[in-house]
Amino acid sequence: MREKIEERFQISPFLALYAIVSMQIGIGVLGFQRIISMEAGYDAWISVLLSGISIHAIVWMMYKICETAEGDAVTANLFAYGSMIGKGVSFLFILYFIILSVAILRGYIEVIQVWVFPELSVWGFAAVFLVLVIYIIYGGFRTVVGIAFFGLVLPAYLLLVFGFAFRYSDFTNLLPILDHTPIQLLKSSFHMSLTYMGFEVLLFIYPYIKKPEQSKKWVHFGVIITTVFYTAIAVITFAYFSEKLLQKSIWATLDMWKIVNMPFVERFEYIGIANWVLIILPNVCLCIWSASRIMKQIFPLRQRKAVIIIAIVCLIIVGLLDTRQQVNMFMDLTGKIGFILNYLYVPFLFVSVLIARKVKKK
Amino acid sequence: MGNFFKRTTKPKLKDKQTPGAKEKQSSSQSLSSENWETALSKSNDFKKMHYISQKSGRPFTIVFISSLVDDSIINEFILPGLLTGNFDEAADVKKLVPAADVQLSSDPKDIETKLLSGYVMLTVGENTNELVFIAAKKQINRSISPPEVEFSVIGPKEAFVESIDQNLYLIRKRLPIKELVVENLQVGKLSKTHIAILYIDHLVDRTNVQTVVQRIKDIEFDEISDSSYIVQMISDNENSPFPQLLDSERPDRISAVLAEGKVAILVDGSPHALVGPTTLAEFYSSFEDYYLNWLISVFFRLIRFFSVIFSLLVTPVYVAVLSYHYELIPKDLLGTLITSRRVVPFPPILEALILELTIELLREAGARLPTKVGQTIGIVGGIVIGTASVEAGLTSNVLLIIIALAALASFTTPIYRMGNTIRLLRFPFLLMAELWGLVGILIGFAFLLTHLLRLTSLGRPYLEPMYPPRISDFRDAIVRLSFKKQSKRPQFLRTENTTRFSKKKGEQKKDIDE
Repeated sequence: MREKIEERFQISPFLALYAIVSMQIGIGVLGFQRIISMEAGYDAWISVLLSGISIHAIVWMMYKICETAEGDAVTANLFAYGSMIGKGVSFLFILYFIILSVAILRGYIEVIQVWVFPELSVWGFAAVFLVLVIYIIYGGFRTVVGIAFFGLVLPAYLLLVFGFAFRYSDFTNLLPILDHTPIQLLKSSFHMSLTYMGFEVLLFIYPYIKKPEQSKKWVHFGVIITTVFYTAIAVITFAYFSEKLLQKSIWATLDMWKIVNMPFVERFEYIGIANWVLIILPNVCLCIWSASRIMKQIFPLRQRKAVIIIAIVCLIIVGLLDTRQQVNMFMDLTGKIGFILNYLYVPFLFVSVLIARKVKKK
Repeated sequence: MGNFFKRTTKPKLKDKQTPGAKEKQSSSQSLSSENWETALSKSNDFKKMHYISQKSGRPFTIVFISSLVDDSIINEFILPGLLTGNFDEAADVKKLVPAADVQLSSDPKDIETKLLSGYVMLTVGENTNELVFIAAKKQINRSISPPEVEFSVIGPKEAFVESIDQNLYLIRKRLPIKELVVENLQVGKLSKTHIAILYIDHLVDRTNVQTVVQRIKDIEFDEISDSSYIVQMISDNENSPFPQLLDSERPDRISAVLAEGKVAILVDGSPHALVGPTTLAEFYSSFEDYYLNWLISVFFRLIRFFSVIFSLLVTPVYVAVLSYHYELIPKDLLGTLITSRRVVPFPPILEALILELTIELLREAGARLPTKVGQTIGIVGGIVIGTASVEAGLTSNVLLIIIALAALASFTTPIYRMGNTIRLLRFPFLLMAELWGLVGILIGFAFLLTHLLRLTSLGRPYLEPMYPPRISDFRDAIVRLSFKKQSKRPQFLRTENTTRFSKKKGEQKKDIDE
């Protein structure tokens, strides 16, 4: 069953951190603050921490699944449910990764349209972007992770920009702490988990990690980094905006960058939006890479062709999403499917794999 | 030399009798002993002389190509010994001729190659099976001159020349160890270019050597003029504008990288040696960095990296900002920009393209003209055209400053080949900036990044140590730390011996007042 990936295509264990973190940080950073504060108000930063902790449990399960099945989730599905159902379930993952990459790409185009180029052609931009993605994936998994690495390291300077918001921040906004019910906090955690989404690629990149055992600590460390990152941004945002004002800003992060004022540049959000290309690029790449890899495994198809097919499907769906409402609905839907996959299907698969192993041992 | 019988045979034209000879020769495959003489005797510098030794009375013949052979060697070392000495057969000649390289052979296949590489062939009597080859190569060499492309203020002032023997000497002199291996290969159907592959045994990764040897052996080409032919032929990706092997004219640099565990390639007739595997960062290190204090060289390297990014992106950013994102510019600065652009009739992209192309024109004209005229063109063109176009209102003076700075920044690249790449890359960025503003520049940058990520040099990642990230290799990449810290060889070379010197000794610290 186990198909061994050659070492020269594999990545070092610590690079798994970059793959996971760059997947988790994406288009959501620009505007998650409003959504999480809808339920839990300015206690929402606690929800950010809570859902961050829940991810560790899911990641732990993912590793157990892959270790038991000695391969990625496709192998695990086959291992647990047999050929027919296993392949069918894996096929659903292809669909999920397609709609996830569409949501990311279309969401980004929406930001560009609202902030920079109202007339931007969705088709044209998506086509160029997907050509770039195909070019990256053709370079192999190492190139994909390379993009994830640079997509995290190069735009890191944007963190400094938040410093400008400090001058206008009032951290007493956060008080009183724990002013909301646990139910509200949990609801807010649910919303937050949509922003955290993306770490499910771990299920598919697993066979490409050299010594996966060692990568565990890196992936967990990566999840901690993301949690701290989102919590910090949530806290800064809450200190910067008043609660009512925040409810009115869809992209709070971009609004905060407006305050930047240097002798040679102001209105930093334009630079931020342009830089976001580098941040969403690894998201789309890893999604389409995973989808094409699953396709290769369950259909007799070369990955080169699979990538092109998936890219074309993505392009068509992106082009069909026309209005703001459609985009919003699509992103909500994607988030919900992602939640089901991560928090319901992964534990389910985890249990099934354990049972399957017991049965097979007998 | 008077009383001996001398006769020069006129080259016999056998062409008409054997019409097939010409075709055989053009196919240039192994010519039979008859054919080499026919083919060579068409040239006037082919000489065949018959002599009779005075002591033993044996007749002998020498054959050589006069333009390749040093006359004085024949006159002073070969003929006197033979004419006065006593010998019966070819094997005896070795004792009589005071030359280091005297070879006996009975293989007629050798004749052609030996004659054409400057040997004198000697046969005794009528016996044409026993051949003696005596090296009498004419040595015409340019004297060693200071490096012009990779000039350095401090450090050795010798550069490679066109002769491979001299270049090998320059390297051997710096690495007098038995482990320095020189492997010879010959490439080119017509040019028969000698190529030497150098590496230090027990240190280099054998797979790198094998890759180089294999790729050079696989070359199918007729005429190799320079090492730059080889670079293009053995590159991992021929369609990349980025050079994938470092070329250097400095023997000090080549010996230093050999000691690091890299492979060097010398090509006869080329004053540039090649080095692989290499990385992008290496192209931005000048060898003078090692001759300066590490703090200063770190500063210079950072300046160079900054200037590449600046030179690549500044004009596209200008175009993007002025075309689409003028909100980015603070109010005070906007005033300056508006004043400078008030009378310019063109959109920013056209303005930028005109000026960029002017600069490229000046550069190209300066490079093609003789040095003295080139300088004049540069000054006249730069100042006159620049000032005039601003005064005429065709371009804004802010852009003129930006473009001049960008051109200046592109000259800081120590390796000329890489500078050219940067020159070319600016134009796609300009077009992307015109298309989608800053977002376009970032998309273009992502394409460039992907290209670099996919690029390899002899199978090793080109972006190392940035990706795959290897912190320890940063000590000699974007920065150069002090020699004390350089106790290990670069990781990506996978050298057999990773230690350059004992780290303990290097890092020993003394206590205060000790």
